[in-house]
Amino acid sequence: MYKSTGFISFVLRRFTGVALVLYLFMHILVIGSATQGAAAFDATLKVVQGPLFKIMEIALIAAVAYHAFDGVRLLIVHYFNVIDYRKSMFYAAFAVAAFFTAIGGVLILQALLYHA
Amino acid sequence: MRIFQMQRISAIALLVFLGIHMAVMHYPPWEIDFRTVVIERLSSPIWKVIDIAFLFFVLMHALTGAYVVLTDIQRVNTYKRVLAGAAIVLGIAGFIYGTATIMAFQPPV
Amino acid sequence: MPDSHPLPTTATVRVQRFNPDNDKKPRIQEFKVPLTADTTILDALHYIKAELDGSLTFRRSCRHAICGSCAMNVNGRNMLVCKTPLTRELDQQARVTIKPLPYLPIIKDLVVDRSSFWEQYQRVKPWLIPPDNVPEKEFRVSPEEVEALHNAETCIMCGACYSACQVIAMTKEYIGPHALLKAFLRVLDPRDAAPGERLADLDGGDGVYRCHTIFNCIDACPKNLNPTQAIETLRKLAQKRQAYEVERAERQKTLTQPVK
Ligand code: FES
Repeated sequence: MYKSTGFISFVLRRFTGVALVLYLFMHILVIGSATQGAAAFDATLKVVQGPLFKIMEIALIAAVAYHAFDGVRLLIVHYFNVIDYRKSMFYAAFAVAAFFTAIGGVLILQALLYHA
Repeated sequence: MRIFQMQRISAIALLVFLGIHMAVMHYPPWEIDFRTVVIERLSSPIWKVIDIAFLFFVLMHALTGAYVVLTDIQRVNTYKRVLAGAAIVLGIAGFIYGTATIMAFQPPV
Repeated sequence: MPDSHPLPTTATVRVQRFNPDNDKKPRIQEFKVPLTADTTILDALHYIKAELDGSLTFRRSCRHAICGSCAMNVNGRNMLVCKTPLTRELDQQARVTIKPLPYLPIIKDLVVDRSSFWEQYQRVKPWLIPPDNVPEKEFRVSPEEVEALHNAETCIMCGACYSACQVIAMTKEYIGPHALLKAFLRVLDPRDAAPGERLADLDGGDGVYRCHTIFNCIDACPKNLNPTQAIETLRKLAQKRQAYEVERAERQKTLTQPVK
């Protein structure tokens, strides 16, 4: 392994990307229960809105946030000549993603505790 | 190459659509059911258009992404035509099923 | 080095050994070599070969960072061992680990098989394809045009970037940073008559779009070149290939005249 910030961002990007593809198809199937009518939809949603899924959604937020802000970083690299700042940009993308994850995570946990 | 361009375009589109999606569908207390979706969150037909566009771009981004991840591996790249075919089929199937789902959110008459 | 830390008199050099005749897997062997402030890593390898173990195999030629033979992986980084002082790479226990370039088949000890590296290099036609109107005396190229090539010119083909590239680790079908940098040099050269043809190949599935901007090539390059930026430029040019060809043909009409 040739380790570097670029390598870490690459691995994380691919890993979150593949995870999100799998999630996307699950998501489409779950929400697809709406085609069987309101009752079927509500029954399915009851399952996936349980506490366990809520906790897993924090991981989902982390994956989405990282993948999105790493993507923004890449778009900036593509369209502007900023290669000299490659390391700081990686840390920036990571920090912004962590920030959004933290906010989402706190809100989810709050809602969970509040409802329990 | 076209795949690269598709990825960048859908990526930029997703930044917008995912932002909208999160703002509209996912906020505390993170509980929705059929009624809230239809009445509170997707009442205007313009939402159907936005959601179908979102579905289109998210499928494009996911499938091109998966294709690139897989074909970057030398041994898998031998089957790139099969993979491209599978991606197109999955994309069309997902789009049809997803559109049907979006259309299913109709207020009960 | 500050005086409070006197230089140790010996260093431990850990070298990855592999002899295809006897070994199934590479193994690490430790050697103690004398250390002075100006010992390079290559000096240490020479010392081992001359004094300790004559069977140690590695490539080197010029010993002053211009032939590109001696690129190796030292403490996980690709570099030219002939221009790297040993003291710079030593850890607290005065140890250093030397391995062959990663992701390439090992022939023996520190020597790797670089065939794929050269095949990809050949593939981009690294030579200049001259225009029809070759002048009697000289081409006239503006300072700005020369300046644009500067990033790619000083490449010594050592393979440090190639073997640091994560994409190369996954597929040898990718053209690779070294050859793309060379292609960049030819595509941007106003004297080259076939930029469109070159861009057409780089635009394919094995070319510029396989780069995922991991930047390992920049970090590895001993000449401080920037293959990633070259690839970004090629991507942009590939998208307006036809216009670029026209522009080049236009430029070549005045290539023998003095630059205004
Ligand atoms: S020996 Fe020539 S570059 Fe190091």
